[in-house]
Amino acid sequence: VRATARRPAHLAARTLAAALIVAIEVAGVMLMLDQFGSIGGWRPAEVVVLFGLGFAGQGLALVFGDTLEASKVSELVRRGTFDQVLTRPASPLGWVVASYVDTRFVGRHLAGVATVVWAADRAGVAWTPGRAGLAALAVASAATIIFGVLMAAAGFTFVTVQGSEAVNVLIYGGQYVASYPMQIYGSALRFLFTWLVPLGLAIYVPALGVLGRPGPPGLPAWLAWLTAPVALAFVAVGGLAWRAGIRHYVGTGS
Amino acid sequence: VRAYLALLGAGFQRQNTYRLALVAGLTTNAFFGVVRTAIFFALYRERDQVAGLDVADALTYVWVLEGLFAVVWAPWFWELAEAIRSGEFIAELLRPGDPYLRLAAFDLGRTLSVVATRTVPTLTVAALVLPLRLPGTLGGLALLAVSLVLAAVVSFQLRFLFASAAFWTPDYRSMFLFAFPVLWLASGFVVPVDFFPEPAAGAGQLEPVDPAGDGAGAGGHRPVGRPHGRRPARLGGGAVAGRSPGAGRGQPPAGGPWWLSTPASTCGWPPPRCGPPPAGPPTWPPAPWRPR
Repeated sequence: VRATARRPAHLAARTLAAALIVAIEVAGVMLMLDQFGSIGGWRPAEVVVLFGLGFAGQGLALVFGDTLEASKVSELVRRGTFDQVLTRPASPLGWVVASYVDTRFVGRHLAGVATVVWAADRAGVAWTPGRAGLAALAVASAATIIFGVLMAAAGFTFVTVQGSEAVNVLIYGGQYVASYPMQIYGSALRFLFTWLVPLGLAIYVPALGVLGRPGPPGLPAWLAWLTAPVALAFVAVGGLAWRAGIRHYVGTGS
Repeated sequence: VRAYLALLGAGFQRQNTYRLALVAGLTTNAFFGVVRTAIFFALYRERDQVAGLDVADALTYVWVLEGLFAVVWAPWFWELAEAIRSGEFIAELLRPGDPYLRLAAFDLGRTLSVVATRTVPTLTVAALVLPLRLPGTLGGLALLAVSLVLAAVVSFQLRFLFASAAFWTPDYRSMFLFAFPVLWLASGFVVPVDFFPEPAAGAGQLEPVDPAGDGAGAGGHRPVGRPHGRRPARLGGGAVAGRSPGAGRGQPPAGGPWWLSTPASTCGWPPPRCGPPPAGPPTWPPAPWRPR
């Protein structure tokens, strides 16, 4: 962070630009949804709450996890830098994560939080400690899950060396999917993003509580509190994949 | 000319070399296409036509956009900007010919490869599975090709401009970061330009095409200031086919295929599969109200 903070104007510009992207996307979606009136019975402002939660969670995860992205880990392995990392008396994961913190994603996170507050106000949400807690839980769970995806992908990159951009489908695509009410999707997409990569579970279900919506029939109210353990379990799997990847790492032989 | 042709071939080959990247790109396009298709099916469940677009138009928009994504989004401009910043670009000036034309030839090769491996397969599969509105006549196809070329040309110019920012400032990335969101929205990548409010829609259509990925702009040149009664959509050459709304084949009922979207009511898709009409007396028009 300090390296970037040397140039405050640069830092501010990047943060602002990242927030601008979120604002533009939200504005565009708002325009479209206003033309239609509703989607799956949800009003535009309620959908935008989902968008905000998704952006906030994604931004938070990428603040820490951006260095785990496939292309960057691939670079680390190919240049042999990772050999040095392993000899250091610190956890490799901690080192990689701390090596560079991209402030762009702070902007993304903050813009997401601002979007949630603004859209919840428009949707007429009366904030209570419980609802605020649910929203925070959604953001934290989503961030945890995305971080888990990043760790697993990084572990995978140790094996393949060549980074694959397909992970972005889960990170950016998952956030996109979870930005709309889950009931509009077919069974395959819903299953994938509720149980395999539980981003939908982490964002949609707590959002039901925040917005005070009943949700689809058969959905128990306590499911919202299940998101935290599910997210933790997911990140644990991601951690295992990361460790397996490191164990597989043999260096470049240079 | 031969040198430029060789560069064209090199661009083509470079793009073809990375098979894994091709698979990843196709997967990403397919995934986002499927998700956006599901979203539009859900949106159109309650309406038939919004801002002059119906389901088929919206789906055409989605898949043309996914097909063109790789044409207009080519991250090589970062390499060029980095080369300018580090000074490596000097070597380019020493080579014979014009640097701009060499770059253009190289990018043309890349574009041809992308059209063959990404645009055509994506659109073909989508058109087979979904009710897209693609031009069927020879003239329509020609216009679609023209709009494709325009998309490629304009996006190349924008890439070149973004990279050229490095001639003036080392902080070229910030320039891009601020210009990009505006182009992103105005190009219709986030949502179709037709959904903008009236004055903004006119402004959006002034913008020829976008840098980052959309066919809507390409096919969607329209005179600004036309009467309010909107013509049918011209997404990626949609109107080129010469269909007026409602003419031609019947619209598939909103709802989408079962694997994509939850079924609407009694009707499924593809069209002939319609359930029996709901039993009981029709509720519309309602019986006249009588005072008791």
